[in-house]
Order: sequence, then C-alpha cells, then structure tokens
Amino acid sequence: MAVKIMVTCILLISSLIAQDQIAVATKVFGNVEIFKKKGSSVEIKQGSILSIGDQIKTSRGSFAAIIFIDDRSVLKIKENSTLTLNGQRKRGSISKEINLQGGSLRAQVTDNNRKNFTIESSVSVASVKGTDFWFINDKDNGQDFIHGLDGLIELTNKNSGLSVDIEAGITGFSNIDGNLQTKKTDPKILPADEVDPESKTNSIEIEFLDSTGKKKKLIINYR
Amino acid sequence: MNVDIKIKKASLAVFFFFLSIMFAQRNIYHIPPPNAQLGEDLAIKVSLLDIEKPIKGTLYYRSPRGESYLEIPFVDTGFNWEATLPSFSLTEDGIEYLITFQFDNEKILSFPRVDPFNNPIFVRTVEEDNYFGESLESDILILSPFPNANLNTNNPIIAVSFFNATEINRNSVELFLDGIDMSSKYIFDGDILVYAAKGLQNGLHKVEIRSKDLDERMIKPLIWSFSVKEFIEEESNTISYFGNFNSRLTAEKIVESEINIAEFSGKFSLDVQWARLDNSIRMSSKESIFNQPYNRFGSNLSFGRFLEVQFGDFFPQFTNLTIDGKRVRGLGLDVDFNWLRFQLINGELNRAVQRKSGINGAYNLIYDLTDNETDGTKTYYLDRTGFEFKRGIYGARLSTNLFKKVELGAHLLKIRDDTTSVSREISDANFFVNSSIDGIKSGNYNLNTFQTQLLLNNHNLLAPSSNWKGIKPQDNLIVGFNIGTFLDDRKIAIDFDWNLSLYNKNIWDGALSIAQLDTSIDDSLDGFIGRTYDENGDPIISSSEISTDQIPFDPGKMKDIFIINTNMTPLIPIDYTIMKSSPLGAIINMPSSAFKFSIRGKYNRNNILLEYQQIGPEYISLANPFLRNNSRNFTLQNRIGFLNQKVFVNIGFKHRDNKILSTVVNPLNTNTFFINATFLPGPGLPTFSYNFQSINKNNEKTNLDSVGSKIIDLREDSDATTSVLALTYPFDSGNIKNNITINYGNVINLDNFASKRDESFFFAKTNSNILSFNLSSIFSSSLRTYAQFNRTSLEIPTFENSLFTKLPYTLTSLSFNINRKFLGEKLVSKNEASFLNSKGKNSSTLLGLRSGVDYYVREDLNLNLVAYFRFSYNKNSVENERKIDINASGMTLTMLYRF
Repeated sequence: MAVKIMVTCILLISSLIAQDQIAVATKVFGNVEIFKKKGSSVEIKQGSILSIGDQIKTSRGSFAAIIFIDDRSVLKIKENSTLTLNGQRKRGSISKEINLQGGSLRAQVTDNNRKNFTIESSVSVASVKGTDFWFINDKDNGQDFIHGLDGLIELTNKNSGLSVDIEAGITGFSNIDGNLQTKKTDPKILPADEVDPESKTNSIEIEFLDSTGKKKKLIINYR
Repeated sequence: MNVDIKIKKASLAVFFFFLSIMFAQRNIYHIPPPNAQLGEDLAIKVSLLDIEKPIKGTLYYRSPRGESYLEIPFVDTGFNWEATLPSFSLTEDGIEYLITFQFDNEKILSFPRVDPFNNPIFVRTVEEDNYFGESLESDILILSPFPNANLNTNNPIIAVSFFNATEINRNSVELFLDGIDMSSKYIFDGDILVYAAKGLQNGLHKVEIRSKDLDERMIKPLIWSFSVKEFIEEESNTISYFGNFNSRLTAEKIVESEINIAEFSGKFSLDVQWARLDNSIRMSSKESIFNQPYNRFGSNLSFGRFLEVQFGDFFPQFTNLTIDGKRVRGLGLDVDFNWLRFQLINGELNRAVQRKSGINGAYNLIYDLTDNETDGTKTYYLDRTGFEFKRGIYGARLSTNLFKKVELGAHLLKIRDDTTSVSREISDANFFVNSSIDGIKSGNYNLNTFQTQLLLNNHNLLAPSSNWKGIKPQDNLIVGFNIGTFLDDRKIAIDFDWNLSLYNKNIWDGALSIAQLDTSIDDSLDGFIGRTYDENGDPIISSSEISTDQIPFDPGKMKDIFIINTNMTPLIPIDYTIMKSSPLGAIINMPSSAFKFSIRGKYNRNNILLEYQQIGPEYISLANPFLRNNSRNFTLQNRIGFLNQKVFVNIGFKHRDNKILSTVVNPLNTNTFFINATFLPGPGLPTFSYNFQSINKNNEKTNLDSVGSKIIDLREDSDATTSVLALTYPFDSGNIKNNITINYGNVINLDNFASKRDESFFFAKTNSNILSFNLSSIFSSSLRTYAQFNRTSLEIPTFENSLFTKLPYTLTSLSFNINRKFLGEKLVSKNEASFLNSKGKNSSTLLGLRSGVDYYVREDLNLNLVAYFRFSYNKNSVENERKIDINASGMTLTMLYRF
C-alpha cells in the first residue's frame, strides 16, 4: 500500500510540475541530446517531452523534429545545431521563443499570431506567423540566412535594428555588422529535408515503346 | 432471440422457487462480475452442478430503468456456459440480468434462485456514456502521426496534446490502436499523451482516443488513421471489405447423452465509402423446424448516416414501452436526417411452426369432446396441437429533433398472428389412439388412417380447421407519442412517453359487426350495448350502457387495422363515466395505457433522475412480452462524482405498486433504497466499491384470510437486504504484475410478521453469503495465471417433517488457470483445473480438467481446440467406498478466419 501511496504522490507532484511542457519529439535519428535547465542531459528519443528552457543539441549526422503542443507548429533541426526552447504558456497558446545558437532549422508555423513565434540568433530575430522557412545560423561567421518557403517572415537585425519582410522564394541575409539584405532564393542552396537513413527508396518503372519500337523506361523514385 | 418462453412472470417466480427446492442438488454456479466496462462486451459465465444436460440456457438482461428483458442464449463452451452481453446494452445505469436453464420435463433453474425476474442481478458499470446521448467535441490536438500520414517506419510515435483540452478528465483517457486498448502502455505527462508503437505491420492503422470530461460525460472519440510503408499505394482504394468467419464443432458426452453441435457464423462488410453493407450469419445444427429459428441472417445497408436498410434478422427499437430490441425477421428502414427521423419495421416476430412438440406432435384426440349421435354413432374430436402461428409485425415511427431543443415522435405498432400460417393437415404426423374406441386397435395413427378406421366402424371425425383448443391467435395494436425537451444548455432533459394498446387474445372468429357488438353483452338487438329490460320489456336505464350510435365506425371495417370482437382488451379503452367528471384522470388511468415521465438533471457533477412510470393492467405489447403491466413505478436517484471524479456515489429510492385501479384493495408495494459507492483513484491503483440495497415488500394486509374452512396467511411485509463489498488491488511482486479481487456479499431476508405468524408458515426466501478471491498474475508477456476461490452459503427454506426449516447449503469452488504462449506467441496453451464441492442435503464433488490451445496459423487465421473432462467423486458412507466417474467430457474445435 505504501508503494501505491508513493506512486499517487509522484503522479500528483509530476502533474504539478508538468506545467513547462512545450513540445514533443516526433522524429529523431542520430545522437540528439537535451540539456535541462538544471544542467542534466539526456538523449532525446521519439516521444520525448520537451519543456521550456530545454536546450537541444544535434550531433553530426543526426536530426530531430519536434512539434509544439498548442498549435502543432513544427521545428526540424538539422545536424550540428544547438537551440534553446524558451517561451511562456498562456491560456490557449504558448508564446515560443527559439534561441538558435548555431546550425540550421526549418520552422513550419501554423499559428497566425505573429507575436507568438520568434526565432532568434545572436545576430537576428525572425518573427513569423503562419509560415514555413529555413533559418540557418552560421555562428562562426556571425551571419544568418533565412529562406522563405511560404508565408511572411519579419527579419530584424539585432545590431542595426533594420527589418525586412521575407516572402516565399526570397532569402534574407543578416550579419553581425548589421547588414540586412534580401535576394531571390537559389533552390540549389536550400537545405534538404532530412530523411531517416533507415527508410528505403521505392521506385515505379514504366516501359514505353517509341514510334521506332525502341523501349524507354520511366523510373519514378519515391519514399 | 427465443420467444417461446411466455410463462407469466408471477407464476414463473413461484415456479422457480419450488423447483429450486425440488432440485436442490442441482445448482447454477455463477459469480456475478464486480463491474462491467462501458463500451465493452460482458461475458457471463455459468457452471452447472448438475448431472443433466439442460435443453437450453437463457440470459435475460435489461437496463435497471427498463421494464422488459431481452434474451441471449447461453452457449456451452465445455466446462462453462457462456453468453455475452453486447456492449450497447451496458449503460451508465449499470445492467440487470438473470439466468435460466431449462431441463427436460419443464424443469427450470434460475439465478438468482428466488423470484429472479423481480430480483435480477445488478452490475454497475465503471465507465459511462454521455448522459444525453450526444457526444461532446474535444480540443485534443493530434501531434503525431498526422491524419492520413504515410509513414516509412514501423515504430511511429503516437502523440496528442491536451493543452487546450482543459475540460477533459485526464484519468479517463484511453488509447486504442487498431481497436486494441493501449491505455496501459501510453505515457501521459501533463498535457501530452505519448505512445511509442512498436513493430506495426505494413498497412492502414487506426488510432482512437476515448475520454470524458470532468463531469464524466463521454467526449466524442478522436479517431484518425495513418498508413505504414507499402500500404501507401493501396490507400486510394475506394472499395474495401473485411469480416470474419467462425466455425465451431462440439462433441460432448454428459453421463449417457451425447451432444454434437456444428455452428458456422460470420460477418462480412463491404465499404464503398458512400455506402456500406454489413452482413452477418449464424448457421447451427441446432436449427430445427420444430422451434423458432436459431439461425440468423442479417444485412444492413447504410448510406452515410442518413439511411439504413435492414434485411433479415434485426433488432429494432422504438421506445422501451413498445419494441425495445426484440428480434424481427423482415425489412427495416431508418431514415435519419438528424432533425427528422423515420423508422419502419415490416416482418415477423415468430415464424410459423407446424409441429412444435416434434414430428408427431401435431394432433391430440380429445376423448371428452366425443359426441354421441342419435343414430348410435360417435363423432370424435381431433384437435390440432403443437403449433405456433406466424406473428407478423408492422411498425412506423416518425420523430423530430427541433433545434436540438425539442424532441417529438409518434409511433404505431401492429402485431398479428396469421391464422392461415398453420396447416390443419399434417399427413405424416402420428398420434396415439387408446383402446376406448370400439373396433379400433390401440396404436399410432395418422389423419388419413384414423379417418379410414373411423369410417369402417361407422364413426365420424371432427377435425376443425380453426378454433383449436391450444394457443389462440392474437392481435395487438399500439399507438403512442413522446415529447421531450432540453433546458439550461442541455443540463436538464424532460421526457414524456405515452402509449395505448389494443389487444385481442383470440381472433379466430374475426371482427364483429355493429349488430354483433350490440348483442355482445346483452341479447337484444336494440341499438344499445349492455341495456337490460325488466319483465315488462321496459329498458332499465344504466349509466354503463352504450348506444351503438356512439360508435363512430363499423368495427368490421377496421379489421385490417385491428380485429374488434368480444375477446379484445379493453372492450372500450376509456371509462366514459369517469370521462365526464375527470377527463384527464380518465385518460391517464386508462387500463390499457402506459406512460413514463422523467426529468434528468446534470448539475455540478450530479446526475439526477426523477421518473414516474405507469403501465396499465391491460396494456400489452406483444413485441415486448416482458413488460410488467399493472405497475406504477417512482424513481428518484442521483449519481454524484467527488474528488475529481475519483469517487462515485449512486443513491436512490424506488417505489413500485399495482394500485392503478381504484378496485385494488391490497396493493403490493415494493420500496427499494440503494446506495453504491465506488472509489477509482486512478490507473494502477486499488479500487473499492460497496453496494447496499434494501427492499421492503408489503401488501397492506393486516388480517388473515379464509378460503373455505381454511385460514390462510397472505400477509406480506418483508425486508431483503443486500450488501456487496468489492476490492481490486493491483500490485507488483518483483517482475510479476498481480491483480487481486475480493468480493464479499450477503443477502438477508426478514419477515416482519414472523412473531405474529403460525410456526408452520413458509417464508420462502433464501439467505445467502458469498465470499470470493481472484488472483490474476502476469509473469511475462507469455505467461499468465488466474486463481479463483469462491464460497457461497445458502439457507434454503423448506419443509422437513411438516416443519418449516432452513437447509444449509454450501458451495465451494477452486479453480486455477494457466495460459502460456509458445512459438513466438503463435501458440497459446490454456489449461484449467477446477474443484467444485457442494454440501447440503445432497452433497457432491466435481473435479474438472480443461485444456486447450489457440494456434495462430497466420495473422488472419486462428484455430482453437478445447477438451475437457469432469469427474464426479462420490463416497459411499455405508460401504466406505470411494468412486470416481467421468461425469462429462467434450471437445470443441473452433476456426476463426479474419479478412
């Protein structure tokens, strides 16, 4: 019985301290760690619950996707990235502040409230609503690249205070010197979405005969 | 559904009692389940301490607020008999049931033993449906996988967020993956539920989240699908089909009788997105032309949620005072536009049975009705017997739900026996003729040979083509309406349901004309029903006479709707004399009316019910034969949840009497007080429940009665107190997960007239005491055990040496089950050893061994083989000799194929 009472107490206590939860890891591969506020670190796995203040660090070849519990906004974090999940739980929503301390991430934000989602590096702040974009922080050179994929991103350089709107197909450039520029996105420089290395590529092969009777094959690869 | 048991409940109750004494060595051994899970089927298991094989077993069940019982046949599974209560029958009110087993020679055993229809077993439910039927929407957010996602992993994460679902009781959340309960495996941390699925098969998978709000109302389940790997290509299919087939072969030998049963059942569904066809079938070797059908065939064609067409066997429901789930074979239609609904039933409740008593059960020569003719010859009366008429049913109901505020409905139900469905002549049916007829040898004859013999001996035969002496064809018409409304944001529901029945217990002679009606009570064709005359031929004016001019229609012209003749009940549905002085009272107290008024409230975690129901003494619905007519019922109850819905208390009072007619002098009053407390602290923690029920019965009689020269004591004032305490305690010992359940209960009956009665008065109520322990243990995913101990003590009232006494009777049982998986969980071995001992006037011991295997040949194919032996152990005290016999043995082979 004593064990049961203890379990009940633990459940009650855990429900009280569970008020910092912010997101869930839905896809993880490679070595991804969480550094808790208190300094402890654990390896993140699929299904791990993330709280406000957690720092996520992806190693080489690793990847993590997390989803926010209030609006299903998604962060896809590429290898060699470090970020901290900050924010504030409010009634009905969570105000999210992502501090990117280096690396690349893709944000797919569903919330239409601009004030509720910001990504900040040492150089720039991207305030977004209902959008999809890549945020790449090159901390060694003190510069950020923001590639707009959908919606609108308000990009501000923290040093100069300049702001610019980034639309889909536009890349914003912001650096430590206070520069802020935009240009058309070169699709070749867009990072690729991570694919689980365990996943297989499937293909469909369709054979055609041309007017000369020559066989030609159309191969469609898909996952 | 069987319909052949039509024994009046009152006489049945008495019958059961005496049988229970006569056959005290026979017993139904059954432990009621401590509770039932809402949304899940509930298996009821029974063992028979009996050397005889019953003809059939029936489980009767109803909602505690219901008046009528539905029936399910028990299936012999070897050691036990099993019947499964369908999930839809379990409501938040719990469920009431009773068990009967019928043996040869009309012997019947029941559980509970005494007055089972009035004292059914109550089982509480631990979950509940939304009180008012309509599920609430949730704000649960699907985090992973997204609906219709195509995943390339077999180990996906299922995650949902309750961040915005603040009204949900987190303890109530259940997770189902492909219909399998995963609630014990998920992690629920704060606002997030996460389940890491492992090793999912390629294909489509369905996730379902069930939950309730803080008021314990059911939230609309959150359901979505995703697919894994190769199945991605197939998901665009617009046609899908699924189902299962199940065949069972049983061979048993019980003492000297052998029973072999083959049964095939299956379900097949075809879904074309915009329409769906669900088919079900059951074919059994128990099907016989001598009885109502045991086989079942049914199809349900649905077009979205707007239209359902049912063929074959189906179970329609209008209201619980008309038809409430009785089997109909025919056609059903249900058109539901949410705000407007139309239901139609057209089919038969019973099929025609030509020879109910068996192949030679069609005729009976009634010697007492032999006519001696003036010329010295005799006319012998040959009655047609052993039959059952085809009973047709036609029903229609139109109902509307206006603005989700007001519900209105009206219905009509017509049930009539088809007199042409039974043939008079059954050429190959034999009947016995004794030696009392001159010139005819005693022996078996059929209709032709007997008629020939009579003619040869100058006698005549009367074999009428109608008006047979046995079962009479009946007619029944019910009309009614219901009205309901919701107030205060659906927190209060008010309902009123009113019905009027017309019943004709014998329609052999067809409908009366106006002229026949005129002379139905008196002999004078004078334009008045019930007018009498004095010796001078002058009419004696009476308030009860009715002018035929007042009858607005010719009854003969109504025959297609209802056959009106002197056998109808009531002859006139309303009392004209009361109508003049108190029209409302006359309508309400019509003896052939039935109505129910209820108010249900849901405030601050209280579920309050206030209900009054009155069923007139002449109200009859042949589609609901278990309605208790001549009863008034008042119910007040409340179900309260405390401590974040972890403690539930159900408390209430019910009063029932039969004082509808002012002529009732000594009404039988039944007052029931009950309280049920349940403590459910949360998953993995112990649960407690306590049930207390006190029933007082009295008939307001204070004096003894005399019948002829005898003085009889018909006074009734008794208390029956039932207490049941149940504890379930889950605990771990090392790596073993255990769950122990302890039940303790007793029933104590007190006769409040005991001190005033004669010593020889027979107080026919049995006291009982039950104690049971169940321990289930999970050693690993492949090894489980289940141990059970039960001790039931009874004090059975009986007469011994002309003295009233109480015979002690103790039933002790022990059983141990072990289930073990082999071959990577492809093979499951299930074994049981049991010991049953009964000590009383007649004592017996039974030892049972049962062993079986489930072999999962493929993912979609499952074979099951069960064999059992039951040994009886007897000790001859005189010769001090021990003897062990094989009492019963059997084998069952089952094959299940799913697709």
